Amino acid sequence: MGGLQKKKYERGSATNYITRNRARKKLMLSLPDFRRLCILKGIYPHEPKHKKKVNKGSTAPRTFYLLKDIRFLLHEPIVSKFREYKIFVRKLRRAYGKTEWSAVERLKENKPAYKLDHIVKERYPTFIDALRDIDDALCMGFLFSTFARTGKCHVQTIQLCRRLTVEWMNYVIASRALRKVFLSIKGIYYQAEVMGQLITWLVPYQFSHDHPTDVDYRVMATFTELYTTLLGFVNFRLYQSLNLVYPPKLDSKAESELKEDDEEDYAMNSESYTEKLSALSSSLARVVSSVEEEDAKLDEFPDEGEDMEKMEAREKEQKQLETQKKIFEGLKFFINREVPRESLAFVIRCFGGQVSWDKSVCIGSTYDVTDETITHQIVDRPNVDKQYMNRYYIQPQWVYDCVNAKIRLPVEDYFLGVNLPPHLSPFVEEKEGDYVPPEKLKIMALQRGEKLAQQDEEEEEEEEEEEDENEEEEDDEEEAEEKNLKKMEEQRSQGKSLQVKVTPGKVKVENPARLEQEEKAEEKRLAIMMMKKKEKYLYDKIMFGKKRKVREVNKLAAKRKAHDDAEKAKKKKARK
Amino acid sequence: MAARRRLKRVAASQSGFLSFKSPSDPTSSVGSRRKRVNKNKKKNWNKYSDVNDVDEFLEDVRHQERTTGGLLSEKADDSLFFLDLGQPEKPQPLETHPPHHNHILAYQQPNAKKLRRIAEKAERLAAKGVVPRKQKRLLNRRPIDRTVKKAVAEANNNPDRDYYDIWGQELSADPWYLQQTGKKLVKRPEKLNEKPSVLPAVEVIAPGGSYNPDFFSHQALLQEAHQVEVQKKKQEDKLERQLAINKEDKATEETNLREQVEGLVEEENDDEELAPSKEDDEAALAAIAVTQKKSEKQIKKEKAEKLKEQQRLTSRRQTERQQQLFQLRSIKASIRQQEEKTKSKQMQRRIKQEAQKAQPRRLGKLKFQAPDLDVQLSDELAGSLRQLKPEGSILKDRFKSFQKRNLIEPRERAKFKRKLKVKYVEKRAFREIT
Repeated sequence: MGGLQKKKYERGSATNYITRNRARKKLMLSLPDFRRLCILKGIYPHEPKHKKKVNKGSTAPRTFYLLKDIRFLLHEPIVSKFREYKIFVRKLRRAYGKTEWSAVERLKENKPAYKLDHIVKERYPTFIDALRDIDDALCMGFLFSTFARTGKCHVQTIQLCRRLTVEWMNYVIASRALRKVFLSIKGIYYQAEVMGQLITWLVPYQFSHDHPTDVDYRVMATFTELYTTLLGFVNFRLYQSLNLVYPPKLDSKAESELKEDDEEDYAMNSESYTEKLSALSSSLARVVSSVEEEDAKLDEFPDEGEDMEKMEAREKEQKQLETQKKIFEGLKFFINREVPRESLAFVIRCFGGQVSWDKSVCIGSTYDVTDETITHQIVDRPNVDKQYMNRYYIQPQWVYDCVNAKIRLPVEDYFLGVNLPPHLSPFVEEKEGDYVPPEKLKIMALQRGEKLAQQDEEEEEEEEEEEDENEEEEDDEEEAEEKNLKKMEEQRSQGKSLQVKVTPGKVKVENPARLEQEEKAEEKRLAIMMMKKKEKYLYDKIMFGKKRKVREVNKLAAKRKAHDDAEKAKKKKARK
Repeated sequence: MAARRRLKRVAASQSGFLSFKSPSDPTSSVGSRRKRVNKNKKKNWNKYSDVNDVDEFLEDVRHQERTTGGLLSEKADDSLFFLDLGQPEKPQPLETHPPHHNHILAYQQPNAKKLRRIAEKAERLAAKGVVPRKQKRLLNRRPIDRTVKKAVAEANNNPDRDYYDIWGQELSADPWYLQQTGKKLVKRPEKLNEKPSVLPAVEVIAPGGSYNPDFFSHQALLQEAHQVEVQKKKQEDKLERQLAINKEDKATEETNLREQVEGLVEEENDDEELAPSKEDDEAALAAIAVTQKKSEKQIKKEKAEKLKEQQRLTSRRQTERQQQLFQLRSIKASIRQQEEKTKSKQMQRRIKQEAQKAQPRRLGKLKFQAPDLDVQLSDELAGSLRQLKPEGSILKDRFKSFQKRNLIEPRERAKFKRKLKVKYVEKRAFREIT
């Protein structure tokens, strides 16, 4: 014995971690500054596996950071900027106290400021890394741009967020990247595909705001600081990739169209350009102006490992994507005053449509209500006084449902005053055997090209037809519906997915496949017969469990049908 | 000392000074009898003789001589006074003209010709393109940059700030130069690039959260919210049950009285209680028996028994080992069972670990409180987008999301703690002393 004795807590995990207060003292920063630094640099607290060891025997809940992370923080140049800022505040307070106004002016002019560019470059070394983290940035940007400019948080931050989010929306419109939209009670969820990455973000509704008190605004503001920097750089790179001018400028052709006499009514001269951009109604200028080219046909490069089927599938997907991007091409929309303008304008323009609104709502409206070539007018009131002949009056849900269904849905379900079909979430992936609501089934059928004859008559109330005709048609459609439902239930109970369809043209091709299937089924049956009692017992249990799911789905479908019938009966009674 | 006293006396005797003895002093005010002084002595010439008038006169004479050079009384009249007769008349001009209005002579410039020549030359030079030196300097001067204040322009959240291609430009400067001048940025450790949680940044709400939801998905969401409430109620009920007491155990007046009177009232039960207690004492005494020494026989016997026991055990073990050969199958079966158990346990542990990764870690004093589900009741559902009343706050949602993904520790609003001052009261002993 004697000599160097090992003491407890001197090596191992106890020395790898450091508590928050110790770390703060090591960096010589105040607690809010330390928090800000950690958020900006991306240093997060860790929960050690063996808390007792790290905490030197006690299990009190403490915040731990890795010692190596804190040592890395010591080299950060903006730490000195924080300290300078602290001294600046002290000097400013002294000058105010002594009422030395010249000193105050001088100090304010030389206020220490820091830039976060090098941090962004360090945390996201490649562009794809930055794209992966852009979800958060977009959410914060959209959230802050809806704040009121009262001065609680810097008005400059709010303006910057607004500018960046408008730029992002313009990019998505120009690249036709939007794929899914979901209107929820919290806000609007969008999903876009940019450079192969799926980016989801949430936009709050414009008309709600009570600021909760238990949120730390300083923390959120720090996050926003970092994210605005990141978003700006990402925007620049994205615009560059599309050959657009950054900072974005309106296309000169479109700008001349937008020239109005009473521009001063909307905004100050300095702000009117940004307001026009945020109106999202016109296209952006390109660096190298390109003439409209026809869609070039993609060359076929067969890969070595791929067969014809895969290539064909890929081509089919591409074509589908192309058609999906143009569902509103050629249509002219007009948005009424009571409808949320920005969201609808964004979605419509993303898919190739033209959109305009009333002059008194916002700057940048291209045509008026009285324009004869408008094809759809989006209204949310129960009725409109003046109705034009050659345009559809629809509720805003039609636009969103079309985007999610990837085709143009029939307009009749969304007329004014009609009971809207439910707005389904596009983010739900239904597996085999799960309950699929009948509306979704209808949409899938439409996508496949089948036209169920009942769509036109299903849930309308304003009809010029007589009640007798109505009743007859209703009986017919009930029967057809029942048949449909039965067919679908049969398919489900057999365990086949609904996506598989057997078209008459391809019967011959599938013959060998069917034979194979039959063989396999026979083999399966033989194997089942040869199982031992114990194994058979297990197998029965498993099958029971599987079939239980199917039975539940059937039950739900029956319930839904009963509900619908009850609704119809109620409606009939009400009408009578 | 003598000089000082003399000075004091002189000062006191002069009319402007107050006497040193205060007037409130009773001894001085009452008709101070004049002391008889001998003025013939040299000592008393300065003290008691009043020479103010002579002094004044002499001062006046000296002053006059200084300022006007001699006594004013000896000066002549002419040197002191003069007779004011007014201004003498000026000679009048021969002709008198009325004042001119727009006289042509008013436009005359003495060096008009010279100025004209200079202007023409300048014009000719300007036509050729040569600019005089003064103008050149003025033009070269840079205009005043009346731009935004430096601090505002440099700030990170300036709304008009520029962005550039941060990923495009590679290696702006030589790495050796950067290292030597201390401008090279330290490399970021690889571990920091890992995300602290596997959860996605934006979690989309369940389909029942749509503004116009499908019936079943809405019911499912309501069911979830209901479950949460049921759990909360269960916890509360559990607490109440643990704290509940029997009604019979509650104190009544009777039991209260009995408790207070215990031991005070004498009863017959005392004798009976005494007897059983005695017996217990005797039994206790018997248990504390003294152990006797063991005899040799007993020791030998014990040893032999031990030995036998050991032999028995060894032979048993041997036979067991031999028999194990025949038990191979069952041994295999038991081994297989154990392996399966360990495997299943490993699987469970792995599943638990994966589930743990998705959970928020405990990073500080407060535990993570899951946010309330955003759900609208059936009668709150709006029929159209116009009538929709948004639920929940996205700011709160984002804040909770950061906490869930282990980016920040869960935080609560700082409570207003009232710090009461400690009253210091002296001990009685101290109070007596001081």
